[in-house]
Parts: sequence; structure tokens; C-alpha cells
Amino acid sequence: MLNSKKKILIIGAAGGLARILTSILSKENPNYEIIGVDSRPQVEEFKRENVQFLKIKYTRGNFEKLFRDNEFFAVYHLARMSHAYSNKSNLAQRLDLNIMGTSRILELALKFHVKKMIILSTYHVYGALSDNPTFLKEDAPLKASINHPELRDVTEMDQLATNWMWKNQHRIETVVLRPCSIIGPQIRNSMSQYLTTKYVPLGIDYNPMFQFIHEFDMANILARSLDEIPTGIYNVAPDEVVSLRKAKSIIGLPSLKLPLITLTPMALVVKKIWNFPDYLIEYIKFSCVIDNTELKKHLKKDFLRFTTKEALELLKLKL
Amino acid sequence: MLKEIIDTVNLKTSPEDRKKIDQVFSKLYSIYGESEDPWGLDLHRAKSSIEYIWPIYKNYFKVRVFGKENVEDRPYMITSNHTGQVAIDGMLISTAFAIEMERPRILRAMVERFFTGLPFIGTWAAQGGAVLGDRQNCEKLLERNQSVLVFPEGVRGVSKSTKDFYKVQSFTRGFFRIALSSGVPILPIAVVGAEELFPYVYQAKTMAKKLGLPALPLSANYIPLPSPIDIYIGEPYSPPDHLNADSSDKDIDHHIFEIESIIQKMTDEGLKKRRKFWANVK
Repeated sequence: MLNSKKKILIIGAAGGLARILTSILSKENPNYEIIGVDSRPQVEEFKRENVQFLKIKYTRGNFEKLFRDNEFFAVYHLARMSHAYSNKSNLAQRLDLNIMGTSRILELALKFHVKKMIILSTYHVYGALSDNPTFLKEDAPLKASINHPELRDVTEMDQLATNWMWKNQHRIETVVLRPCSIIGPQIRNSMSQYLTTKYVPLGIDYNPMFQFIHEFDMANILARSLDEIPTGIYNVAPDEVVSLRKAKSIIGLPSLKLPLITLTPMALVVKKIWNFPDYLIEYIKFSCVIDNTELKKHLKKDFLRFTTKEALELLKLKL
Repeated sequence: MLKEIIDTVNLKTSPEDRKKIDQVFSKLYSIYGESEDPWGLDLHRAKSSIEYIWPIYKNYFKVRVFGKENVEDRPYMITSNHTGQVAIDGMLISTAFAIEMERPRILRAMVERFFTGLPFIGTWAAQGGAVLGDRQNCEKLLERNQSVLVFPEGVRGVSKSTKDFYKVQSFTRGFFRIALSSGVPILPIAVVGAEELFPYVYQAKTMAKKLGLPALPLSANYIPLPSPIDIYIGEPYSPPDHLNADSSDKDIDHHIFEIESIIQKMTDEGLKKRRKFWANVK
């Protein structure tokens, strides 16, 4: 064989988490050839020989060519368009990219005999509701869009991926990961922003419990999913749970302490200081704590490198 | 008379009480740890709440606890009647188990869905150990060797009109099924005296339904009266071995009825022995 290297495709490769994953995979496995694609340019070029980055548009033709030209062994789908700035006006665009895009990727993975598919979803799919039990299992109903229809794409993409996963489980191994809040200096999601912004509202009337995972640990779990985790849906979270007030106090930035019940009416004014998506108010009011038992069945040793406190302290590097 | 009233409203924690609370909490810290638990229990916050609750418990409601000898050092599903319009009985039982027992423990009171969404109160209760009354929460806590406090009458028990005071309402079955699945004994409790916190009540059920509230009591007073309260702890009731969590309703119903009867009996006997207070003199 001219090229015996196993090829791995990372979709959404310009993102912070994808970059750490690329770095781990390429360093630990010199015999892997990693192709990263994104519609955005990458911040900095990878110097490693076994990494290649392509800035392409996510169209059917482009993708199909990519799959045809390379016999991918595994595909990471990390290209979910962030809902950090979600609002009703960009819902159509997100639905198109997240639902149609995912459907396109899954279809091609099957057509071109990919062996392993790893899809990044989020714990947001469960929704933050006052009647959530603590430690939600993977089979809990996805209720995110009950109060916030603008999160429809998030739950729909997850459901699309999981339905596809069970339907094709004998042909392709698929892992769907639903991580808790990923935080770290390279991540720009709404929770990292919330924690590292001064004078963001912090409830005096609510204090939900949170789980945080450091970006490096999350990237490491993505990398280990390749060989160590079989088909299934997995919540990704540490055992540790911390209240939002405690997390804010570890970071140490001043916040605007107010009753969150007043926040919705004040949203227009508050949004001038802190541009937040509407659904985030629910997440800083009510807990959505997930159960990690399923994941721990497969990742027994060295599950996480950073404790919650360390992950929060490392977030200060972003300041 | 005047001295009695002053004593009743003396809501300061005495230095001896403070010392007692400190001692209890040093034990609790070693059992539960000092950091928050996944359900939001925060012992430091719980301690500051107890410092306010204890004088109310001791001087205002003059709580007496009977049957402490029935409590062993193991987890229980503590099952109580629910009285008094607002869930003050839960707070008093939890305080009794935290402060008055030889081996203190934090009870994880299972609360209504409505309650956990309330601003301020929901978080305050969670910091003191309250948890959303959900089967999964209950099982996980029992797995972790914690004791849970349930009121199987639910809102029907707490929100009764005056004519139904001290009549134990029928229990729902969930608590018994969880006790069967986790093998934890049930510890029956009767609270006597809490119905007279609000002695004249009419439940506006239709209006409550329209407003989306679990209950709407119309009462002569909205500040609880200083009715003396007695807490009776019965002997543990172990779920029978031949039943399991999926046994038929028919098979488990007579056990549930038996627990209801035990609590009703403790209540009736407690009523004969209770202390006099103007609102309970017939």
C-alpha cells in the first residue's frame, strides 16, 4: 500500500476544542493522517506533518469529494454551529447547518464506509428546568426546546444523530457525546464567556449546580473515544458538582448580584453590558446535572486530569 | 403571663445553644463534607439557617420529640403526616433530626415541583437539604446512605380545611415502592400541633386551580400562631421481603394502609397528651 496511514477527518477544525483534539491525536499517533476542515480560517497553522487543514464550504459537492478522495477511518463531527449567540433570527441558518449539515455528513460516512463516527452534542439538550432530577441519565427526555424554541436545532441534531446511530449500529460505530459545560482559555462558548466577564448578573434568588470540564480533558475524551468507547450516547461530566456562586467566587471577578426574576424585564438594558442568549437565563437559574456512569464504564483510569477547581482557576488565563 | 409571652417571642440564640449547634455541625461536617453536594446542600449555609430556626423551634413552637430511641445509625425513609398549610412541619422535623438526635443527620426532604422553582426559597431550602421530590433523586440519595423525608399525602395533607384537621389523607404509593427497591426501612412520624398554626382555614380549591397554584388557603391569620408542637417517632417498618418495587398495587396497598394507620394512631394519642394553647382548647 502506498499510504498505510489511517485517515481521520475533523469537521469544524478551526474551533478551540478541535484544535486541542488535533494536537493530541497527531502527537500521540504519528501514523494517523488528520484532515481538518472548517468554513472559518484557522487561527494558527499546525506545524505537524500529519495534519492538514482545508478551508471549505460545507456543501454537498465539497464534502463528497473529500470523502471520495480519502478513505476516512474515522470522522469527528464538531461543527455544530454554536448556539452561544442563538436568537430567533438565525434559527433558520442554524437549522440548515446543524440539521441538514449533520444529515449530509452521516449519509456520506455511511456511503464511504467510515468505521467510526464521533459526534459532539451538548448537555444543553436536556434543558435547565426547575423539576430536573439531579444526575440526568442519557435516556432522559430532551426538553431544551420546551421553553426556548430557538434551541430546536440543538435537540434535533442530537436526535437525528442518535436515531441514525441505532439504525446503523451494525455498519458503523458511532459515539454521541453530551458534555457538561466545557471551559478553558481556548473555548468561546456562552458559559466560558459568562464566567470570564465582569459584572454579569449573578442570582441572589437562584443558585444552580453546575459541572465543568476543562477543554483539555474534553479533547482527551474525544481522542479516547476513537478506540475505547463503543457505540452509544454518553454524558461527559466529572463527579464533582459546584454551585454557580461558588464557581464565580473561584474565578473571582465582580458580578452584578440581583434577583434573576427581574432579569427578563431588564434584558434590553443588561444586554448592553453582557450580550447573552435568552436561554442562558434558565441555565443560571436551574440545574442540569448529568450522570456520568455510562462513560465511566469505558474510561476507568485517568478519567480527568483537572479538578473542577483547577479547571475554573485555569479559566483565569483567559482574563 | 407577660413573662410567658416574652419568653415565647425570645428568638435569640443563647450562647449555650450556639455551642450546641457548633458541636452538632462539627459532626455533620465530618459526615457530609464541607463542600456543596450535587443537590445543593451547603452545610455552612444550613448552619446559619439553623441559628435562626433553632430559637423558633425551641421557644416559639416549643417542640418536643418523642421516640428518639427508635432511630438507629442507618438511613431511613422518614414518612410523616403533612399538616399546617405551609411546610413548617418539614423544617421542624429536619431540625429535630439535625440537632436533637444522638447521631445528627441532615434529612433530605422531598419537596413539590412547584417549590423548587421558587426564587430565594427554593435555593434556601436546597442549601438546607431539601430536594425535588423525584424518584431518581430519592433512590440516588438512599444509595448514598442518606435519609430522606417524605410526605406521601402531598399537597392534600398540608392544605386541609379546618374540618379535616388531623385526619391522615390517603398516601400515594411511590414512597413505598422506592423503599422496596432500596431496602430501606420506613420510619413513621406524626406531627401534632401544626394544624393550629393556622386554626381557621378554608381551601379555595377552584381559585387555586385557576391561578395554577398547588393550594390557596384562606385563613384568619397569615403568621403562624405559637402552637406547641410534638413530634412522635414510631418504630421502623421494614418493607416485607416477598414484595418488590414492581409488586401489584393490590399487594402493597395494605402495607401502605398499615403505615397510614400507625401515623393516625400516633396522631390520635398525641392529641390526648398535647399541651394547652388557646387555639386548641375545645
